[in-house]
Amino acid sequence: MRILVVEDEEKMAGLIRRGLREEGMAVDVAGRGEDALWMAGSTEFDAIILDLMLPGIDGFETCRRLRDDGVWAPILMLTARDAVEDRVAGLDHGADDYLLKPFSFAELLARLRALVRRGRGERPAVLEVGDLRLDPATHRVSRDGTEISLSAKEFALLEVFMRHPGEAISRFQLLEHAWDYDYENRSNVVDVYVRYLREKIDRPFGTKSIETVRGVGYRLRKDE
Amino acid sequence: MSPRRLSIRARLTAAFVAALAVVLALAGLFVYLRTGSELSGAIDDGLEVRAADLAALVAAGGPDSQELTGTLFEGEEGFSEILTTDGRVVASTLGDGAGTALDPATLAQATQGAARLDGVEVPGLDGDARILAEPANSPGGDTFVVVAGASTGDRGEALAGIAGAFLVGAPLALALAGMLGYLLATRALAPVESLRRRADAITLERSGERLPLPEAEDELHRLAETLNAMLDRIEASLERERVFVADASHELRTPLAILRAELELARRPERTPDELRAALASASEEVDRLSRLAEDLLVIARADQGRLPIKREPVALSELLTRVSRRFAQRARDAGRTISIEAEPGARANVDVIRVEQALGNLIDNALRHGAGEVRLTASRRDGLVRIEVSDGGPGFAAGFDAEAFERFSRADEGRTGGGAGLGLAIVKAIADAHGGRASVVRPDGTGATVRVELPLDGTATEPHEGQSARASVPRR
Repeated sequence: MRILVVEDEEKMAGLIRRGLREEGMAVDVAGRGEDALWMAGSTEFDAIILDLMLPGIDGFETCRRLRDDGVWAPILMLTARDAVEDRVAGLDHGADDYLLKPFSFAELLARLRALVRRGRGERPAVLEVGDLRLDPATHRVSRDGTEISLSAKEFALLEVFMRHPGEAISRFQLLEHAWDYDYENRSNVVDVYVRYLREKIDRPFGTKSIETVRGVGYRLRKDE
Repeated sequence: MSPRRLSIRARLTAAFVAALAVVLALAGLFVYLRTGSELSGAIDDGLEVRAADLAALVAAGGPDSQELTGTLFEGEEGFSEILTTDGRVVASTLGDGAGTALDPATLAQATQGAARLDGVEVPGLDGDARILAEPANSPGGDTFVVVAGASTGDRGEALAGIAGAFLVGAPLALALAGMLGYLLATRALAPVESLRRRADAITLERSGERLPLPEAEDELHRLAETLNAMLDRIEASLERERVFVADASHELRTPLAILRAELELARRPERTPDELRAALASASEEVDRLSRLAEDLLVIARADQGRLPIKREPVALSELLTRVSRRFAQRARDAGRTISIEAEPGARANVDVIRVEQALGNLIDNALRHGAGEVRLTASRRDGLVRIEVSDGGPGFAAGFDAEAFERFSRADEGRTGGGAGLGLAIVKAIADAHGGRASVVRPDGTGATVRVELPLDGTATEPHEGQSARASVPRR
């Protein structure tokens, strides 16, 4: 397992490196966010441990740019900043986990193992399909830069579509992901909301991105 | 409910109605009295004319009851009499044997000149009478008293009518005015209520929320502006607090994290004695860092409350500089740097030696850490101030950083790499402030960083040492 440690405090970085190496991991250290970007770009790390307060670009920005660059290695933010806003911002910038200093090595190692188990599929913080863009953190949707206002349910439905672009999704699957058990009337609610969605994300832009798949359900077109 | 607990609307309306009631009552009283006096005047005019007629009758040929009744019949609205001076009725329209309406005193007065009576009850007359009695001389040289009387019943009815109209109309007018006043007050106060509701919804957790400014440039607009300015200040101070806490927690947690990691790794099995020794050395380094930080935070916290105690004692400037520089001599030698001293000979100052040494130590530490070349310490007196400067030949302060250099946890490098916590200059400033002096960054034409500390030479004049508590009441920036 190869880990990238992004930490500007040399002593801290040295200790993490030592602690992980003794567990048999390969560890590289970057002292600046910029260094982390090119190192992660050229080497496939299994996980990245990222400090927030860095000289130059800070941890949030480093995290965002790593994801923008297509680096999907799990990122664990390891920082002394414990404010709720910081933790929220860290996770919403694309981090997978957040651990506070001072930490215990046992927990750091367990979290790293869990992160690596989850695999390294694409987990963008902001979903994009064609020129359609959905940010789950800020609840904002836009097409080609034009902000679209959706209700909570329409948003939830679109999020299901955008997590499976190009796939035919049955009405039942849509119901399962966007509605809960408390919802009784299940007959045609999906069709109604798909119609609402089309009114908002397609008609004003002259597109037809949500297609009806006969006998199955719907599909969000991928190639736009 | 006491008046204070009523709403402003209710109080405004009540005040409005009360004021209107007073005005109405005064106006009503005025009209009543005025009308009364007008009516009395008209009656008097009539009485005078008739008295003159009676006097003329007497003067023409002597009183004759028959003639009197024929010419001056008054009926229920009035009466006339002619009396002798001793009160015997010569002629009267009141009918025979009715006697005179005059009492003896008035009669006596009337023989001398005109006498008036009001509110006299006269039999056979409608209501009370107003009477004018005058002396009149007959051709025979005898003096008689002529009496003209008029009923005041009409006047009473007119006044009663006016009073009645007011008693009925005024309450109606007041009730109407009260309703209108309440509606107006409600209208006028509606923006206040909307401001209140908006203010109620504002939490300082979401920043940037402000009260809406009413469109009209009125009192409420100004109130909203004032409140918004207050929110700005509160938010700014909360933000400073938040940043301070975030920085302090970072500075405290980093050495703690290193300590913990160091100790945890040391406890892993199969450590050599050398490894353990290195771990202990590193751990004690972090403990030093933590205790320095705790000290610094204490100084700053006390300075914030204006309670940084200053114990002044006289000290020679050259001695002060020598003592501080000696502490750094070894470190400077190790780094291949030199420290030079230049103090005004024989100059002394009255300062807190320990605090000033701490401030100078922070400045030399900075110069050794971030600067380059020789570190120069100079001290001189000027205009009642002692001026101490620490400069080096390094790159100096980054452009724009010298403004915030004295803020807590401020460092030219955001990443907080190595070095101190960024409290050094903040403490220099706190110590200078506590002395009643100031600290500043001097930008010379050449290169290098120069920090200047100016303190009052003799604290007794400008900043007595007990004056610390007084400082707390001075509004802070």
